[in-house]
Amino acid sequence: MRKGGELVKMTLKDLPQQDLFGPGNAGCRGCGAAIAGRQAMKVLGARTIITMPASCMATLSGLNQKTAWSIPFYHTLFEIAPAVSSGIRASLEAQGIKDVNVVSWAGDAGTADIGFQSLSGAAERNDNIIHVCYDNEMYMNTGGQSGSQTPIYAMTSNQQKGKRTGKKDMLKIMVAHDVGYVASATISHPLDLAEKFKKAAAHDGFSYIHIMAPCYRGWNIPTDQSVATARKAVESGFWELYEVVDGKKTRTHEPSFIPVSEYLMSQGRFKNLSTEQVKEIQDAVNSHFGRKEAK
Amino acid sequence: MSLTLLTGSEAAAYGAMLARIEVLAYYPITPAFPAMERMNKFIEDGEMNTRFIRAEGDHSALAAALGASLAGSRTFTVTNSQGLLYMTEVAYHTAGLRQPVVMAVANRALSAPHSRFPEQGDAISQDASGWIQLFCENNQEVLDTILQAFKVGETCRLPVMVNYEGYIQSHTQEEVDVPQLAKVDAFLPFTRVSALDINNPQGINTVTSPDLYMDYKYHQNDAMSQALEVINNVAAEFSRDFGRDWSGVIEGYRMDDADHALVTMGSTVSDGRIVIDALRAEGKKAGLVKIRSFRPFPAAAMRAMLKKVQYVTVIDKNIVFGSGGALGNETKAALYGHLSIPVKNYICGLGGRDFRPDELKQVMALSEERAKQTTEYEWFGL
Ligand SMILES: Cc1ncc(C[n+]2csc(CCOP(=O)(O)OP(=O)(O)O)c2C)c(N)n1
Repeated sequence: MRKGGELVKMTLKDLPQQDLFGPGNAGCRGCGAAIAGRQAMKVLGARTIITMPASCMATLSGLNQKTAWSIPFYHTLFEIAPAVSSGIRASLEAQGIKDVNVVSWAGDAGTADIGFQSLSGAAERNDNIIHVCYDNEMYMNTGGQSGSQTPIYAMTSNQQKGKRTGKKDMLKIMVAHDVGYVASATISHPLDLAEKFKKAAAHDGFSYIHIMAPCYRGWNIPTDQSVATARKAVESGFWELYEVVDGKKTRTHEPSFIPVSEYLMSQGRFKNLSTEQVKEIQDAVNSHFGRKEAK
Repeated sequence: MSLTLLTGSEAAAYGAMLARIEVLAYYPITPAFPAMERMNKFIEDGEMNTRFIRAEGDHSALAAALGASLAGSRTFTVTNSQGLLYMTEVAYHTAGLRQPVVMAVANRALSAPHSRFPEQGDAISQDASGWIQLFCENNQEVLDTILQAFKVGETCRLPVMVNYEGYIQSHTQEEVDVPQLAKVDAFLPFTRVSALDINNPQGINTVTSPDLYMDYKYHQNDAMSQALEVINNVAAEFSRDFGRDWSGVIEGYRMDDADHALVTMGSTVSDGRIVIDALRAEGKKAGLVKIRSFRPFPAAAMRAMLKKVQYVTVIDKNIVFGSGGALGNETKAALYGHLSIPVKNYICGLGGRDFRPDELKQVMALSEERAKQTTEYEWFGL
């Protein structure tokens, strides 16, 4: 926020009381995706059109003639949320309708796997839309299978001994598309998330925000631990909060570097990890942040 | 009236331009691409005030057109064969959402084996998709039908496919009268319907339970049934305004006293007229039934036309594997229980195999000869 010409950090008080998404949604207790939606809408505001492919979030968003959104919401086919958003933007331009955020909001499969083609297309065309990936690191709507965003060694419904390959780095891939605004976020840092949505909304062109959104069922954590788990991911350095503006990367939160094991071992999906595997992940975090060793 | 030489592709592009589409989205494919490039030229030359979405695939192209339509724009796309198959998921979805997107299809055979030549199998693959499917016999009809398609689609809230065959029509020049824009504006006014409206927020395509899904499908099908009359009315209005009568869903040519009816659609119709004239000159009572609307299928009108004939020959440029030709099957279904005329169904001209008027004549003779045989369908020209 700007006050008297000076950039001042937003506080929770600056966010509106009103919820444009949330009331009546059919999410599970502690659904990280729903929390992310509620937080983002506080910044995006009423002049927003949201498109959402097949996913938990689309399913929990409405039933029959009821919707949990107070803005235009469209549950799209699985692969096409960015493409329909491009079409919506083109139509708004043709009609001379301005100051509307067009947001495609997809799960990790709808973003990084089956939805990747239309995402890449919209990004390369630099269409004026915001794509959000809410990442629960599995295909939860179909019961919790592995996808490209599932981290290494995590147990899923179709890889019960743990995934053998690592997580595809979507943020890097989107930076490689040379778009104006790319950011990571998570639900334990709502103001950081809010600032990022503000920037994305202000950016005239394609923006990408990747939100880590814990899921109690898939991650096998207690239902009241979604936010705490996200915080552990951030503070251990497992999930880095940053933004890339016109190619320049800035870390938006310095982690306190709690051991990664605190993040991993609080989740059932990692309960089979060996000491070596935990160390391997810790080493990767250390090397990413240029640190010698964990505390 | 000013006649211009236009290919089917150009005629389609002129149709979209005259309809003042607001958003165009497509992904290149042969033989549809000249229509696409022609529209881009119209846009670049300022003759068309249209936003173009350079989609990264056919599936996304229809998705983008759908998004624009949901936001309230008149939208258009072009494709064929593999592109149409790739779009299939979005095609069904577009129809279910009742969006009047118009699509030109330069019909081409489907892979495998790979072919880039004309055939109507691509359109037939979409026969249950919920799109109105109109077939054109010449390039004038392509242009005129695209104008009519917007009016029909926007009236019924259904998407419309306008089919013309690859190369035979898409790449062949014919004389076409390009109507004046002012006349088209009067024929085709635009009323904006925005499902995604910032001032009237709605949830679109929420999860639908068994207590509602079936009713939506009933209404969708009902709209299709009603489209039969709408297509007829729009064709009549068009004929009044522009002096060209494409006779709605079905046309009978020299059918009044005919005892042998040739039933077909697309470019074979124009060959059919030549053949019927030749047979008439020989004193034979032959007539032609042109199916202009394959979906919805004009079963009752067809029955009325075939009431007095002894022979029915149906030409299909498609094969529904293990079943026969799509038009043959529709014809039999329309007649069953009402009229007991033998229907001979011939599969012809697949994957661009030449099928000339003299061969069409041969098929009709063959059909009379074998009228009593009970073969379900036969292949001609192997
Ligand atoms: C074309 C197509 N293929 C498969 C599906 C089945 N499907 C629906 S949602 C989903 C997984 C969604 O995963 P993600 O995007 O990660 O979101 P989540 O449900 O985990 O929140 C799958 C596989 C579908 N709806 N459409």
